[in-house]
Amino acid sequence: MNAKLKKKSISVSNFIGPLIAALLVAVVVGFTTDRFWDLDNLNNLALAVSIIALLSIGSTLVIFIGGIDLSVGSMIALITMAMSTLLKFGGWPIAAGLLFAVILGAILGAFNGVFTAYLRVPAFISTLAGLSIFRGAAFLFNNGSPIFSISENFEIIFYGKLFGTIPLAFIYVAVFYIFFILFMKYSKLGREIYAVGGNETAAKLSGINVKKVKFIAFIIAGAMAGVASILMASRLNSGSPNYGSGMELSAIAAAVIGGASLSGGRGNIINTLFGALTIIIVQNGMNLNAVPTSLQGITLGLIILIAVLIDMWKAEVAELFKKLIKKKV
Amino acid sequence: MIAVYISFPMKAKVFWQLKNITMFFPGVVALNNVSLDIYKGEILGLVGENGSGKSTLIKCLSGIYQPQKGEFYYQGKPVKISSSMLARKLGVSTVYQEFSLVPTLTVTENIFLGRLMKDKKGFVDWGTMYEKTKSILDTLKIDIDPNKIIYNLSVAEQQLVEIAKGYTANGSLVILDEPTTALTAPDIKRLHELLRRLASTGHTIIYISHRINEVIEVVDRIAVLKNGELAGIANISEITMNGIVKMMSGRHIAEHYPKQCNVQNEVILKVENITTENGVNGVSFEIRKGEVFGLAGLLGSGRTEIARALFGVDKITSGKIYFKGKKVKFNNPRQAIEAGIAYITENRKTDGLFFNLNGPKNSTTAKIKKLFRSNRLRILDLKKECKIYDESNKKLKIEPMSKYKMVGFLSGGNQQKVVVSRWLFSEADFFIMDEPTQGIDIGARLEVYNIINELMAASKSILLISSDYLELISMSDTIGNLKFGRITSIKDAKDVDKKLIINSSV
Repeated sequence: MNAKLKKKSISVSNFIGPLIAALLVAVVVGFTTDRFWDLDNLNNLALAVSIIALLSIGSTLVIFIGGIDLSVGSMIALITMAMSTLLKFGGWPIAAGLLFAVILGAILGAFNGVFTAYLRVPAFISTLAGLSIFRGAAFLFNNGSPIFSISENFEIIFYGKLFGTIPLAFIYVAVFYIFFILFMKYSKLGREIYAVGGNETAAKLSGINVKKVKFIAFIIAGAMAGVASILMASRLNSGSPNYGSGMELSAIAAAVIGGASLSGGRGNIINTLFGALTIIIVQNGMNLNAVPTSLQGITLGLIILIAVLIDMWKAEVAELFKKLIKKKV
Repeated sequence: MIAVYISFPMKAKVFWQLKNITMFFPGVVALNNVSLDIYKGEILGLVGENGSGKSTLIKCLSGIYQPQKGEFYYQGKPVKISSSMLARKLGVSTVYQEFSLVPTLTVTENIFLGRLMKDKKGFVDWGTMYEKTKSILDTLKIDIDPNKIIYNLSVAEQQLVEIAKGYTANGSLVILDEPTTALTAPDIKRLHELLRRLASTGHTIIYISHRINEVIEVVDRIAVLKNGELAGIANISEITMNGIVKMMSGRHIAEHYPKQCNVQNEVILKVENITTENGVNGVSFEIRKGEVFGLAGLLGSGRTEIARALFGVDKITSGKIYFKGKKVKFNNPRQAIEAGIAYITENRKTDGLFFNLNGPKNSTTAKIKKLFRSNRLRILDLKKECKIYDESNKKLKIEPMSKYKMVGFLSGGNQQKVVVSRWLFSEADFFIMDEPTQGIDIGARLEVYNIINELMAASKSILLISSDYLELISMSDTIGNLKFGRITSIKDAKDVDKKLIINSSV
């Protein structure tokens, strides 16, 4: 009984922190402006968070294996450009274009994976190269100009609503997060990702194909960049070689605010969603309050620092709170 | 508490005095009223099972912990050791199990780390530091080039450098925490000679170890801790090994190595003339069902390398391996595991455990697919995972909370048992055990030995590698003696004399 109780409290405490962080910033932002809790604004918020939330699933998996993926932002540029070209000028049906986006993402991820997992280039370097290469490749399409009006009604993919009420973007997030939460918990590969991130040598000596696991993590990150690209392109019905710039950092920030350890093996997928929410709520709040861009960047950076500090010094912070409470009593 | 105070050479001066040291952590009393006199120039052995308070006591003396009760007296004057900096100022120099050397720097740089000598212009004075290091190493009769990078030294040499570092820092009280875990017999001999020389020049040494047979060879007095209390202290000439063991654990020494013999006739593994690129040189041997085959030899003689070759980690360049009657060739650990081989590695921290996972998850990694709900439905059955863990835990007796705790929070003994549970789960028939009792206490050791016996009774086989010769001879059925990657002799363990192994290995 006691043990069971303890088990529960352990698994709850795993995601309670990032959830509180997201709620806390929501409450704070709510105080600064009345418009925050407007249904329209919340709807916007859900739309805004969806792209980062989906993109950061892949970034989180790569962080779990002890790697990092700096190239996913550039992938979005390349994929939206390639997809737009095929749909607008190549006459491809939309469904084929969407499938192409995900497959191209997976291929780009495999490119990172080959260099990182099999040729042992540090992930930071190989994906830094990817960041540059993919962005450059995006400019090869349409003479480097954005492609507008890809297809009629293309925006529906992003702005559409199920039964006229539930935003589709919300459903994508829910479906992918539920899938990956279950994947990490109940699949062999999910377990192997944690094992590889925790101790690579031990994983190898336990018969795990470490290279393959790493390779697949990068492929998933690429495929998720493909999914994010679809939403990005349908949001403005366009593709642009400038899309996704800096997004890889937001995606990493979401994972880190969610408590994923950059040394690998530690963290929960669901927390990345809360991390992404935290970032987007802060951005939204600042936009509503017309905070200048310079201050926005500074604030976001500070939030990343505070989140990581709290996560690192969890025990000490809890102790401090206990003392404060005791003093009051 | 029975504390027998015996003064070491009657005329010796009390150097440090510990009075009623008491230290508790939430829920545990780690040290309970420990009083101890330490004499100038003595080597004091400090032994006790894991959790007996040895480490805590040392950390109090080194200023890392501050005891809630009790006083320290340094040369008769009361002192407060409120930080490790202060402890160092008082001449306390502690060599921990985990080395504090920087592997990418030279011996000289390490010895002068944090207090580099500078010349008048304010530049680093490499010449003088080199000379000083050389003369220190010479005084201590340590034959190591001061310009060598630590990374390139053997573990034993690193240990010696670590001690030299403590010596240079003007340590008047040198504390060694488990210094011999990674050392082989000749290295231990060298270390002991060094300690004797240090003691003869007025240094005082506290020597902590699990290996009582080694402790008694070098110390003047021995203090035994049990459950945070001083169970006794005696001059080494006045106590037997049996007496010490009994004081530590309440057990008799004969119960220390509960060897059972279960050797059958059927050969499970036959190795013919195997050679690898990193030091295995035409090795042949056979292991039968129910047999413990012990590999004796120095660190670097190819013991671990044979294990790695059998497990598919290192490539075999020539020779043949027959496993369960079939010729096999493993290109990676996965194939070896599939065939039924288990490998309990030498260092559970760096290549055994996943510190980010709990006990059950650690125990299933070698055969995760056993948890699939069915062949079609490749989804992990987490309830089954816990159930199997509970089941194997009935035998292994791992701390119950290990079911939820990350294994990093478990004691060494429990950690080792988690590693064992992994290979029981993988249903291996042949176990390679490389230093299976390293850094674990007598109680946990005994449990490991019992597991070995149970495995043998179940017709499994073991290749045992251990630097603890007494353990190796006592627990093996057959001993293969290894030298420069070659097996020089294979003998029945009963016919092997402890001294003989050490000598023929040198």
